Amino acid sequence: MKLSEAIELLTTTYQSLDAVASGLSVDAKEVNDALNKADKDSAEYVALQALAKFNPYENTKKEKVKKDDDYDQE
Amino acid sequence: MALPNKVLPGFSASLYAQSGATPTALSTANLSVYASTSGIAVAGNLLPVEAIPAFGQDDAVANFNVAGSRQSDKIPTQAAPTSMTITAAWNPSDANLLQMRADAYNGTIDRTFVISATDGTNIVNYAFNGRVGQFTVDPNPTAESKATFTVHPRGNQYGWSNNA
Repeated sequence: MKLSEAIELLTTTYQSLDAVASGLSVDAKEVNDALNKADKDSAEYVALQALAKFNPYENTKKEKVKKDDDYDQE
Repeated sequence: MALPNKVLPGFSASLYAQSGATPTALSTANLSVYASTSGIAVAGNLLPVEAIPAFGQDDAVANFNVAGSRQSDKIPTQAAPTSMTITAAWNPSDANLLQMRADAYNGTIDRTFVISATDGTNIVNYAFNGRVGQFTVDPNPTAESKATFTVHPRGNQYGWSNNA
């Protein structure tokens, strides 16, 4: 599902945001990027937070760097 | 210090109701947006209530008997939001009280209510959608006339926001 469609659905629904967001499959990176740009006092931000809960974004690159750092210390 | 911790130890709270005979209640997401709820928490929408009643969620449990165990087990189940019974001084000229009466007679009007708590500087808004299910006027001549009405919040339709 497109992120814009998911946001539209979540900002207009009268149901529980968690219940609706749990059924929406969106790209986790797109959600994370949009969350970083969104105005914190907006319905879009609230919708993106609900989506992020069920579509968590993990930055694998950062984790790899951290592991390398650990090796250097040893 | 997080705003709720700063405001809640000493604050005053007011109840506001969205205006209009057939309002469009805020969507669930917008109930958590200060910019949306602060538009409802304005002087013209103030309900002249004597006190803000308890709000939140009722209790509901299922009791399971466990064979061989001394104690049974209680599991929380789906619970209703707490209904708010509100008392106000009856003023037949107050547009907002008359609106509550009209809502009670109708029974199907969804309206956004906002409880606004402030310490004088910062504001925390608790917003929810609800319907009015009861409205009575007590015209006892030995005391001030009182209007009592009950707001039944709709399930899952609530949100917190603040101006910090």
